[in-house]
Amino acid sequence: MTDRIREQMSALLDGELPGDEMGLLVRRLERDEQLRRAFGNYVLAGEALRSPSGPLASARFAAKVSAAIDAGTVEVAPVRPGRPAPVRWARPAIATAVAASAAVVAVLLVKPAMQETAVVAGGAVQQAQRALASLPIIAESSPTPAHSQRLAGYLMAHSQFAGAIGRRNVWSSVLASDPGITRASYEFAETP
Amino acid sequence: MKPMANFPPSDGSMQTQEPRDAEPRPASGVEQSDLELVRRAQRGERGAFDLLVLRYQHKVVKLVARLLRDPTEAEDVAQEAFVKAYRALASFRGDSAFYTWLYRIAVNTARNAMASRQRRPLDYEADLSETEQSAVASRMSHSDTPEATALSDEIHATVNRAVAELPEDLRTAIILREIEGLSYEEIAAAMDCPVGTVRSRIFRAREAIDRNLKPLLD
Repeated sequence: MTDRIREQMSALLDGELPGDEMGLLVRRLERDEQLRRAFGNYVLAGEALRSPSGPLASARFAAKVSAAIDAGTVEVAPVRPGRPAPVRWARPAIATAVAASAAVVAVLLVKPAMQETAVVAGGAVQQAQRALASLPIIAESSPTPAHSQRLAGYLMAHSQFAGAIGRRNVWSSVLASDPGITRASYEFAETP
Repeated sequence: MKPMANFPPSDGSMQTQEPRDAEPRPASGVEQSDLELVRRAQRGERGAFDLLVLRYQHKVVKLVARLLRDPTEAEDVAQEAFVKAYRALASFRGDSAFYTWLYRIAVNTARNAMASRQRRPLDYEADLSETEQSAVASRMSHSDTPEATALSDEIHATVNRAVAELPEDLRTAIILREIEGLSYEEIAAAMDCPVGTVRSRIFRAREAIDRNLKPLLD
Protein backbone atom coordinates (compact mmCIF):
# COMPACT_ATOMS: atom_id res chain seq x y z
CA MET A 1 0.00 0.00 0.00
CA THR A 2 1.71 3.16 -1.15
CA ASP A 3 1.60 6.52 0.52
CA ARG A 4 0.02 7.94 -2.61
CA ILE A 5 -2.98 5.68 -2.25
CA ARG A 6 -3.30 6.41 1.44
CA GLU A 7 -3.06 10.13 0.76
CA GLN A 8 -5.85 9.76 -1.79
CA MET A 9 -7.87 7.95 0.87
CA SER A 10 -7.30 10.80 3.32
CA ALA A 11 -8.45 13.30 0.68
CA LEU A 12 -11.51 11.13 -0.05
CA LEU A 13 -12.44 11.23 3.61
CA ASP A 14 -12.34 15.03 3.48
CA GLY A 15 -14.33 15.19 0.26
CA GLU A 16 -11.31 16.64 -1.51
CA LEU A 17 -10.47 13.84 -3.91
CA PRO A 18 -11.07 14.65 -7.59
CA GLY A 19 -13.88 12.58 -9.08
CA ASP A 20 -11.65 10.92 -11.66
CA GLU A 21 -9.44 9.47 -8.91
CA MET A 22 -12.33 8.12 -6.91
CA GLY A 23 -13.34 5.15 -9.04
CA LEU A 24 -10.04 3.36 -8.87
CA LEU A 25 -9.64 4.08 -5.15
CA VAL A 26 -13.12 2.76 -4.31
CA ARG A 27 -12.35 -0.45 -6.17
CA ARG A 28 -9.04 -0.78 -4.35
CA LEU A 29 -10.76 -0.26 -1.02
CA GLU A 30 -13.33 -2.89 -1.89
CA ARG A 31 -10.58 -5.45 -2.40
CA ASP A 32 -8.09 -4.39 0.25
CA GLU A 33 -9.02 -5.12 3.86
CA GLN A 34 -5.91 -3.37 5.19
CA LEU A 35 -6.74 -0.20 3.29
CA ARG A 36 -10.31 -0.25 4.59
CA ARG A 37 -8.99 -0.64 8.10
CA ALA A 38 -6.72 2.37 7.65
CA PHE A 39 -9.67 4.38 6.34
CA GLY A 40 -11.63 3.31 9.43
CA ASN A 41 -8.76 4.46 11.65
CA TYR A 42 -8.67 7.87 9.96
CA VAL A 43 -12.40 8.21 10.65
CA LEU A 44 -11.93 7.05 14.23
CA ALA A 45 -9.17 9.60 14.86
CA GLY A 46 -11.35 12.43 13.59
CA GLU A 47 -14.27 11.29 15.71
CA ALA A 48 -12.11 11.04 18.82
CA LEU A 49 -10.75 14.54 18.19
CA ARG A 50 -14.17 16.09 17.76
CA SER A 51 -15.79 14.55 20.80
CA PRO A 52 -13.81 14.05 23.98
CA SER A 53 -15.83 11.02 25.08
CA GLY A 54 -18.80 8.87 24.23
CA PRO A 55 -19.41 5.51 22.61
CA LEU A 56 -17.61 4.55 19.43
CA ALA A 57 -18.53 1.84 16.98
CA SER A 58 -16.63 -1.36 17.62
CA ALA A 59 -13.82 -2.40 15.29
CA ARG A 60 -16.02 -5.07 13.66
CA PHE A 61 -19.07 -2.85 13.19
CA ALA A 62 -18.65 -2.13 9.46
CA ALA A 63 -17.93 -5.79 8.73
CA LYS A 64 -21.10 -6.78 10.58
CA VAL A 65 -23.17 -4.31 8.57
CA SER A 66 -21.68 -5.72 5.39
CA ALA A 67 -22.48 -9.28 6.49
CA ALA A 68 -26.06 -8.29 7.40
CA ILE A 69 -26.53 -6.73 3.95
CA ASP A 70 -25.17 -9.87 2.32
CA ALA A 71 -27.51 -11.99 4.41
CA GLY A 72 -30.43 -9.83 3.26
CA THR A 73 -29.40 -10.25 -0.36
CA VAL A 74 -29.37 -14.01 0.03
CA GLU A 75 -32.87 -13.82 1.45
CA VAL A 76 -34.28 -12.13 -1.62
CA ALA A 77 -32.38 -14.30 -4.11
CA PRO A 78 -34.47 -16.55 -6.36
CA VAL A 79 -35.03 -20.08 -5.11
CA ARG A 80 -32.90 -22.69 -6.85
CA PRO A 81 -34.78 -25.17 -9.08
CA GLY A 82 -35.40 -28.51 -7.47
CA ARG A 83 -36.05 -27.04 -4.07
CA PRO A 84 -39.69 -26.24 -3.46
CA ALA A 85 -40.27 -22.65 -2.49
CA PRO A 86 -41.60 -22.15 1.04
CA VAL A 87 -45.35 -21.65 0.70
CA ARG A 88 -46.35 -19.19 3.35
CA TRP A 89 -49.99 -19.10 2.39
CA ALA A 90 -50.43 -22.90 2.51
CA ARG A 91 -51.27 -23.16 6.20
CA PRO A 92 -54.00 -20.47 6.28
CA ALA A 93 -55.37 -21.76 2.96
CA ILE A 94 -55.69 -25.29 4.37
CA ALA A 95 -57.34 -23.93 7.50
CA THR A 96 -59.81 -21.95 5.38
CA ALA A 97 -60.57 -25.01 3.24
CA VAL A 98 -61.27 -27.12 6.35
CA ALA A 99 -63.54 -24.41 7.75
CA ALA A 100 -65.39 -24.10 4.43
CA SER A 101 -65.87 -27.89 4.26
CA ALA A 102 -67.31 -27.89 7.77
CA ALA A 103 -69.68 -25.09 6.79
CA VAL A 104 -70.86 -27.03 3.70
CA VAL A 105 -71.52 -30.14 5.81
CA ALA A 106 -73.47 -28.04 8.29
CA VAL A 107 -75.58 -26.51 5.51
CA LEU A 108 -76.35 -29.93 3.99
CA LEU A 109 -77.54 -31.23 7.34
CA VAL A 110 -80.22 -28.58 7.90
CA LYS A 111 -83.84 -29.21 6.94
CA PRO A 112 -84.97 -28.80 3.31
CA ALA A 113 -87.34 -26.03 4.44
CA MET A 114 -84.36 -24.09 5.68
CA GLN A 115 -82.73 -24.56 2.29
CA GLU A 116 -85.77 -22.99 0.66
CA THR A 117 -85.55 -20.10 3.13
CA ALA A 118 -81.89 -19.69 2.36
CA VAL A 119 -82.62 -19.55 -1.37
CA VAL A 120 -85.25 -16.88 -0.82
CA ALA A 121 -82.90 -14.99 1.51
CA GLY A 122 -80.12 -15.22 -1.03
CA GLY A 123 -82.43 -13.79 -3.67
CA ALA A 124 -83.43 -10.97 -1.35
CA VAL A 125 -79.81 -10.10 -0.71
CA GLN A 126 -79.11 -10.02 -4.43
CA GLN A 127 -82.11 -7.82 -5.09
CA ALA A 128 -81.16 -5.50 -2.27
CA GLN A 129 -77.68 -5.25 -3.72
CA ARG A 130 -79.12 -4.46 -7.14
CA ALA A 131 -81.32 -1.82 -5.57
CA LEU A 132 -78.30 -0.27 -3.90
CA ALA A 133 -76.42 -0.33 -7.17
CA SER A 134 -79.30 1.37 -8.99
CA LEU A 135 -79.29 4.32 -6.62
CA PRO A 136 -77.67 7.43 -8.09
CA ILE A 137 -74.17 8.10 -6.83
CA ILE A 138 -74.21 11.21 -4.70
CA ALA A 139 -71.12 13.23 -3.98
CA GLU A 140 -71.76 13.16 -0.27
CA SER A 141 -71.57 9.72 1.32
CA SER A 142 -74.98 9.86 3.03
CA PRO A 143 -78.05 9.15 0.90
CA THR A 144 -80.99 11.56 1.00
CA PRO A 145 -83.95 10.59 3.23
CA ALA A 146 -86.04 9.95 0.08
CA HIS A 147 -83.52 7.41 -1.24
CA SER A 148 -83.23 5.77 2.14
CA GLN A 149 -86.99 5.49 2.49
CA ARG A 150 -87.35 4.04 -1.01
CA LEU A 151 -84.74 1.40 -0.33
CA ALA A 152 -86.21 0.59 3.09
CA GLY A 153 -89.62 0.08 1.55
CA TYR A 154 -88.12 -2.19 -1.05
CA LEU A 155 -86.41 -4.26 1.62
CA MET A 156 -89.52 -4.44 3.79
CA ALA A 157 -91.56 -5.71 0.84
CA HIS A 158 -89.04 -8.41 0.11
CA SER A 159 -88.63 -9.38 3.72
CA GLN A 160 -92.25 -10.53 3.76
CA PHE A 161 -91.28 -13.29 1.31
CA ALA A 162 -88.16 -14.32 3.18
CA GLY A 163 -87.88 -16.57 6.19
CA ALA A 164 -86.58 -15.48 9.58
CA ILE A 165 -82.95 -16.30 8.79
CA GLY A 166 -83.04 -14.58 5.44
CA ARG A 167 -84.71 -11.50 6.87
CA ARG A 168 -82.09 -11.23 9.60
CA ASN A 169 -79.29 -11.57 7.07
CA VAL A 170 -80.71 -8.93 4.80
CA TRP A 171 -81.24 -6.48 7.64
CA SER A 172 -77.94 -7.09 9.29
CA SER A 173 -75.89 -6.81 6.13
CA VAL A 174 -77.58 -3.82 4.54
CA LEU A 175 -79.31 -1.75 7.20
CA ALA A 176 -76.58 -1.83 9.78
CA SER A 177 -74.29 -0.05 7.39
CA ASP A 178 -76.45 3.03 6.98
CA PRO A 179 -78.07 4.82 9.94
CA GLY A 180 -80.10 6.90 7.49
CA ILE A 181 -81.75 3.79 6.08
CA THR A 182 -82.35 2.41 9.56
CA ARG A 183 -84.09 5.60 10.63
CA ALA A 184 -86.21 5.69 7.46
CA SER A 185 -87.20 2.03 7.78
CA TYR A 186 -88.43 2.51 11.34
CA GLU A 187 -90.52 5.44 10.18
CA PHE A 188 -91.87 3.31 7.33
CA ALA A 189 -92.76 0.42 9.64
CA GLU A 190 -94.62 2.72 12.04
CA THR A 191 -96.66 4.23 9.24
CA PRO A 192 -100.12 2.65 9.16
CA MET B 1 -20.04 -6.68 -7.54
CA LYS B 2 -23.68 -7.41 -6.94
CA PRO B 3 -26.47 -5.24 -8.26
CA MET B 4 -28.58 -3.81 -5.48
CA ALA B 5 -31.62 -5.87 -4.73
CA ASN B 6 -34.72 -5.39 -2.67
CA PHE B 7 -35.34 -1.80 -3.82
CA PRO B 8 -37.47 -0.13 -2.71
CA PRO B 9 -37.88 -1.69 0.72
CA SER B 10 -41.10 -3.58 1.12
CA ASP B 11 -41.32 -2.55 4.76
CA GLY B 12 -43.83 0.24 4.72
CA SER B 13 -43.08 1.24 8.28
CA MET B 14 -39.70 2.51 7.30
CA GLN B 15 -39.55 6.22 6.78
CA THR B 16 -36.79 6.85 4.34
CA GLN B 17 -38.40 9.76 2.58
CA GLU B 18 -35.70 12.18 1.70
CA PRO B 19 -35.95 15.51 3.50
CA ARG B 20 -35.33 18.55 1.35
CA ASP B 21 -32.96 21.19 2.55
CA ALA B 22 -34.86 24.34 3.43
CA GLU B 23 -32.74 26.55 1.20
CA PRO B 24 -30.55 25.55 -1.68
CA ARG B 25 -26.95 25.86 -0.61
CA PRO B 26 -23.70 24.76 -2.14
CA ALA B 27 -22.85 21.21 -1.15
CA SER B 28 -19.64 20.79 0.81
CA GLY B 29 -16.83 18.63 -0.49
CA VAL B 30 -17.84 15.84 1.88
CA GLU B 31 -21.46 16.01 0.70
CA GLN B 32 -20.36 15.86 -2.93
CA SER B 33 -18.06 12.99 -2.14
CA ASP B 34 -20.91 11.21 -0.32
CA LEU B 35 -23.18 11.74 -3.30
CA GLU B 36 -20.57 10.29 -5.62
CA LEU B 37 -20.25 7.25 -3.34
CA VAL B 38 -24.04 6.89 -3.23
CA ARG B 39 -24.24 7.00 -7.04
CA ARG B 40 -21.61 4.30 -7.23
CA ALA B 41 -23.40 2.17 -4.63
CA GLN B 42 -26.65 2.63 -6.57
CA ARG B 43 -24.88 1.19 -9.59
CA GLY B 44 -23.93 -1.86 -7.57
CA GLU B 45 -20.50 -0.96 -6.15
CA ARG B 46 -20.74 -2.36 -2.65
CA GLY B 47 -17.32 -0.96 -1.78
CA ALA B 48 -18.72 2.55 -2.11
CA PHE B 49 -21.44 1.85 0.44
CA ASP B 50 -18.90 0.21 2.75
CA LEU B 51 -16.98 3.49 2.75
CA LEU B 52 -20.12 5.39 3.71
CA VAL B 53 -20.60 2.96 6.60
CA LEU B 54 -17.01 3.49 7.71
CA ARG B 55 -17.41 7.25 7.47
CA TYR B 56 -20.63 7.49 9.49
CA GLN B 57 -20.50 4.47 11.81
CA HIS B 58 -19.32 6.35 14.90
CA LYS B 59 -21.72 9.25 14.38
CA VAL B 60 -24.70 6.93 13.95
CA VAL B 61 -23.76 4.71 16.91
CA LYS B 62 -23.34 7.82 19.07
CA LEU B 63 -26.64 9.30 17.92
CA VAL B 64 -28.55 6.06 18.50
CA ALA B 65 -26.91 5.53 21.91
CA ARG B 66 -28.07 8.98 22.99
CA LEU B 67 -31.59 8.42 21.72
CA LEU B 68 -31.96 4.98 23.28
CA ARG B 69 -30.27 6.00 26.52
CA ASP B 70 -29.11 2.39 26.54
CA PRO B 71 -25.78 1.96 24.78
CA THR B 72 -25.99 -1.84 24.98
CA GLU B 73 -28.50 -1.80 22.12
CA ALA B 74 -26.93 1.04 20.15
CA GLU B 75 -24.77 -1.04 17.81
CA ASP B 76 -27.58 -3.40 16.84
CA VAL B 77 -29.96 -0.54 16.15
CA ALA B 78 -27.28 1.40 14.25
CA GLN B 79 -26.56 -1.70 12.20
CA GLU B 80 -30.25 -2.04 11.38
CA ALA B 81 -30.31 1.62 10.32
CA PHE B 82 -27.42 1.09 7.89
CA VAL B 83 -29.05 -2.01 6.41
CA LYS B 84 -32.28 -0.06 5.93
CA ALA B 85 -30.35 2.78 4.32
CA TYR B 86 -28.70 0.35 1.93
CA ARG B 87 -32.01 -1.18 0.96
CA ALA B 88 -33.57 2.24 0.43
CA LEU B 89 -30.57 3.71 -1.36
CA ALA B 90 -32.25 3.57 -4.76
CA SER B 91 -34.79 6.11 -3.53
CA PHE B 92 -32.10 8.60 -2.50
CA ARG B 93 -32.07 11.34 -5.12
CA GLY B 94 -29.64 13.76 -3.53
CA ASP B 95 -32.19 16.44 -2.57
CA SER B 96 -30.60 16.49 0.86
CA ALA B 97 -27.17 15.61 2.16
CA PHE B 98 -26.66 11.86 2.51
CA TYR B 99 -25.97 12.14 6.24
CA THR B 100 -29.22 14.06 6.79
CA TRP B 101 -31.09 11.22 5.13
CA LEU B 102 -29.08 8.59 7.03
CA TYR B 103 -29.67 10.31 10.38
CA ARG B 104 -33.38 10.38 9.67
CA ILE B 105 -33.37 6.63 9.12
CA ALA B 106 -31.32 6.17 12.30
CA VAL B 107 -33.74 8.30 14.33
CA ASN B 108 -36.74 6.34 13.03
CA THR B 109 -35.03 3.02 13.67
CA ALA B 110 -34.16 4.10 17.23
CA ARG B 111 -37.74 5.24 17.75
CA ASN B 112 -39.04 1.84 16.61
CA ALA B 113 -36.56 0.12 18.93
CA MET B 114 -37.78 2.20 21.87
CA ALA B 115 -41.41 1.40 21.06
CA SER B 116 -40.55 -2.28 20.81
CA ARG B 117 -38.71 -2.13 24.11
CA GLN B 118 -41.80 -0.65 25.79
CA ARG B 119 -43.89 -3.53 24.46
CA ARG B 120 -41.39 -6.11 25.69
CA PRO B 121 -42.21 -7.76 29.01
CA LEU B 122 -39.74 -6.89 31.75
CA ASP B 123 -38.91 -10.49 32.52
CA TYR B 124 -38.45 -11.51 28.88
CA GLU B 125 -34.96 -12.82 29.51
CA ALA B 126 -36.38 -15.52 31.72
CA ASP B 127 -37.98 -17.06 28.63
CA LEU B 128 -34.91 -16.93 26.46
CA SER B 129 -33.31 -20.12 25.32
CA GLU B 130 -29.67 -20.77 26.10
CA THR B 131 -28.66 -19.72 22.57
CA GLU B 132 -30.61 -16.50 22.85
CA GLN B 133 -29.08 -15.75 26.24
CA SER B 134 -25.67 -16.29 24.74
CA ALA B 135 -26.53 -13.87 21.92
CA VAL B 136 -27.62 -11.27 24.46
CA ALA B 137 -24.41 -11.76 26.39
CA SER B 138 -22.36 -11.44 23.20
CA ARG B 139 -24.19 -8.23 22.33
CA MET B 140 -23.45 -6.84 25.73
CA SER B 141 -19.79 -7.66 25.34
CA HIS B 142 -19.03 -5.34 22.45
CA SER B 143 -21.09 -2.30 23.26
CA ASP B 144 -20.90 -0.47 26.51
CA THR B 145 -19.33 -2.91 28.84
CA PRO B 146 -16.59 -1.59 31.15
CA GLU B 147 -14.02 -3.02 28.69
CA ALA B 148 -15.55 -1.19 25.73
CA THR B 149 -15.78 2.03 27.73
CA ALA B 150 -12.16 1.69 28.81
CA LEU B 151 -11.08 1.09 25.20
CA SER B 152 -13.07 4.10 24.03
CA ASP B 153 -11.43 6.28 26.71
CA GLU B 154 -8.02 4.98 25.75
CA ILE B 155 -8.65 5.73 22.07
CA HIS B 156 -9.65 9.29 22.90
CA ALA B 157 -6.58 9.77 25.08
CA THR B 158 -4.22 8.24 22.50
CA VAL B 159 -5.54 10.38 19.65
CA ASN B 160 -5.31 13.57 21.67
CA ARG B 161 -1.82 12.72 22.86
CA ALA B 162 -0.73 11.89 19.30
CA VAL B 163 -2.09 15.21 18.03
CA ALA B 164 -0.36 17.10 20.83
CA GLU B 165 2.95 15.51 19.80
CA LEU B 166 2.61 16.40 16.11
CA PRO B 167 4.83 19.08 14.54
CA GLU B 168 3.06 22.42 14.61
CA ASP B 169 2.22 22.58 10.87
CA LEU B 170 0.66 19.09 10.86
CA ARG B 171 -1.21 19.77 14.11
CA THR B 172 -2.67 23.02 12.81
CA ALA B 173 -3.75 21.40 9.55
CA ILE B 174 -5.48 18.42 11.17
CA ILE B 175 -7.20 20.57 13.80
CA LEU B 176 -8.49 23.03 11.20
CA ARG B 177 -9.80 20.12 9.19
CA GLU B 178 -11.22 17.79 11.83
CA ILE B 179 -12.35 20.19 14.52
CA GLU B 180 -13.09 23.38 12.60
CA GLY B 181 -14.29 21.56 9.49
CA LEU B 182 -12.49 23.86 7.04
CA SER B 183 -11.97 22.85 3.42
CA TYR B 184 -8.47 22.38 2.04
CA GLU B 185 -8.76 25.69 0.26
CA GLU B 186 -9.73 27.49 3.45
CA ILE B 187 -6.90 25.81 5.37
CA ALA B 188 -4.48 26.77 2.61
CA ALA B 189 -5.59 30.38 2.92
CA ALA B 190 -5.31 30.28 6.72
CA MET B 191 -1.88 28.67 6.66
CA ASP B 192 -0.68 30.55 3.61
CA CYS B 193 0.41 27.47 1.69
CA PRO B 194 -0.71 25.58 -1.44
CA VAL B 195 -3.70 23.23 -1.29
CA GLY B 196 -1.46 20.30 -2.18
CA THR B 197 0.63 21.00 0.92
CA VAL B 198 -2.50 21.00 3.08
CA ARG B 199 -3.52 17.65 1.64
CA SER B 200 -0.09 16.23 2.37
CA ARG B 201 0.05 17.64 5.93
CA ILE B 202 -3.34 16.27 6.84
CA PHE B 203 -2.39 12.88 5.48
CA ARG B 204 0.89 12.83 7.45
CA ALA B 205 -0.92 13.86 10.61
CA ARG B 206 -3.38 11.00 10.15
CA GLU B 207 -0.61 8.54 9.53
CA ALA B 208 1.10 9.61 12.76
CA ILE B 209 -2.12 9.19 14.73
CA ASP B 210 -2.74 5.83 13.07
CA ARG B 211 0.68 4.56 14.16
CA ASN B 212 -0.27 5.37 17.75
CA LEU B 213 -3.72 3.76 17.42
CA LYS B 214 -2.64 0.52 15.80
CA PRO B 215 -1.34 -1.22 18.95
CA LEU B 216 -4.67 -0.49 20.62
CA LEU B 217 -6.85 -1.77 17.80
CA ASP B 218 -4.90 -4.80 16.57
